[in-house]
Amino acid sequence: MKRRSFVSWGTAGLVALCSAISVSLGAVVRFLTPSVFYEPPQTFKIGNPADFSYGPPTFLADEKIFVFRDPEKGFAVANAVCTHLGCTVGYFQSDESFHCPCHGSVFKADGTVQHGPAPRPLEWFEVTLARDGQLRVDKDHTVPASYRLVVSS
Amino acid sequence: MNPLRDAWQSIVRRDPLSTDKGKSELVFLNVWLHIHPAKVKKENLKVKHTFYLGFITFFLFLVLVTSGVALMFYYRPDAPQAYQDMKDLQFVVYLGSFLRNMHRWAAHGMVICVFLHMCRVFYTGSYKRPRQFNWVIGVVLFLLTLGLSFTGYLLPWDQLAFWAITVGTNIGSYAPLVGARIRELLLGGHTVGESALLRFYVLHVAVLPVLMTLLTMVHFWRVRKDGGLSRPVWKLKEEKSAQLVTIGAPVASAALAAVPASKDKTYGLMEVVTGKPIFETVSMEEEEDTVFSYPYAFFREGIALLVTVTTVMAVSLFWKAPLEELANPAKTPNPAKAPWYFLGLQELVSHSALLGGVIVPTLAVLALIAIPYIDSNPSRRPADRKWAIRAFTLFVVVNVVLIIVGTFFRGPGWAMVPPWVHITGAE
Ligand code: HEM
Ligand code: FES
Repeated sequence: MKRRSFVSWGTAGLVALCSAISVSLGAVVRFLTPSVFYEPPQTFKIGNPADFSYGPPTFLADEKIFVFRDPEKGFAVANAVCTHLGCTVGYFQSDESFHCPCHGSVFKADGTVQHGPAPRPLEWFEVTLARDGQLRVDKDHTVPASYRLVVSS
Repeated sequence: MNPLRDAWQSIVRRDPLSTDKGKSELVFLNVWLHIHPAKVKKENLKVKHTFYLGFITFFLFLVLVTSGVALMFYYRPDAPQAYQDMKDLQFVVYLGSFLRNMHRWAAHGMVICVFLHMCRVFYTGSYKRPRQFNWVIGVVLFLLTLGLSFTGYLLPWDQLAFWAITVGTNIGSYAPLVGARIRELLLGGHTVGESALLRFYVLHVAVLPVLMTLLTMVHFWRVRKDGGLSRPVWKLKEEKSAQLVTIGAPVASAALAAVPASKDKTYGLMEVVTGKPIFETVSMEEEEDTVFSYPYAFFREGIALLVTVTTVMAVSLFWKAPLEELANPAKTPNPAKAPWYFLGLQELVSHSALLGGVIVPTLAVLALIAIPYIDSNPSRRPADRKWAIRAFTLFVVVNVVLIIVGTFFRGPGWAMVPPWVHITGAE
């Protein structure tokens, strides 16, 4: 075999090998990414407005949200998942703030970080009234902390 | 003709062990033992050189494989079934809780021993030429050990497991660009759930143990090919020590004196190729400082094995592996702590997730890997490497202090508390 053709065949082989490896790696990553996530839906109903009391927020454990209801201002839904590393925060009526048990982040009632390692305020989710009169929360839609759903009762 | 003797000889082909030839053949005709040299230097058998920590780490790994396979007979990686199976192992399965204890305590022990082994290798300067790459393999083995512990931690599916892994994997998602993606691949979802449990299980019982086994083999092979264990530091003479470690340096192809080959001898490969061996060779006068591996080295390793296994068994008889309530995604225990060897990390993370959870650990691992290449001081004598020793000691102390603070001084809300709170349960 001539030197030239050896070199070019060699290069072609190398390129083919590298592409085969990258394609396989890509396939592995894609294989490991689930095509369907069997996870709870991000939009769900949480019940009728009348189910919720005024005063301290209601904690819904399965959904990991706090539902606030205010006589004038209406409904707001906060994410109970700490923005630091995902622990579930608790709401303390005594100082009207959220406390995270994991690394001690404290959030004010409007979700902003008071102190601790949390980098961002707690999220607020959009809450709307479904056609059947129930409250519906959409975890894919975050809203500003000032967002309120006013329900005339 | 005696068929029994015939059968024996078909299995064991060596000469009787009373002869030197038999002693060597025991080592190099045996697939398990031939990783040893037939003869070893007496000084390398000394406990105060290695503390047998590498061996103990390996033996703990064997205990883990054995007890782990036993546990697999009763464990299903499915939520919340997994927790039920743990309860069964604890209270129903014959010897179940004992095996579980052994698996848990051996895992903790392995993390400790692999770390101590790394310290021993550092303080004796054994990562220097020609052993640089084996140190790198060692660092990977260390990371694999942590990976095995981490993946195993989720499997009981109790509160401890669930929250440690929630926090742990969220740390990863702070890594720029790829973080969130890696977390999704690891968990097979966006929260710790059934797919995460299955993935961690597969990593824990198949992927990581296989990698660990393969790399351990490479590690042992390299110890042997790097010339056996390094000389104990107390044997390094002042003038000679620099020269001893430069042996791996490439030599200007000095042709060896050609000796005419004899027709009535067979030659091994090392006798016909030219060039110097990369490792410290045993010269004639050192030959008398060596002993046969059988029985001297094997006896000591056997003792180390015995001590390791009995210690794990004894500990497992008296101390139970913890099992908390069933995992509850809605309720974070307060405080929620990672496994103790990650508490240093958690301590860092409690100040900043990106800096403490990603940047500092990544730099630390890279620095560990780079040690043999940065440290250009050829001498292995402690007196010649004061700064290296100080720097590494600082690294060790910082780690230990962070772990102690995380374990004993952090209470609910990760607030500083005096350590007795944990003992008395008072607040
Ligand atoms: C699963 C983990 C590991 C196992 C089972 C293991 C096992 C061993 C064994 C059996 C030896 C022989 C002598 C001794 O007992 O000290 C050894 C030597 C050695 N190990 Fe490891 N090791 C592991 C991890 C590490 C780590 C984390 C490092 C360093 C970062 C490391 C670096 C070395 C080096 C450089 C030697 C040669 C030491 C010398 O020649 O004196 N190993 N290892
Ligand atoms: S997870 Fe909330 S402070 Fe760390």
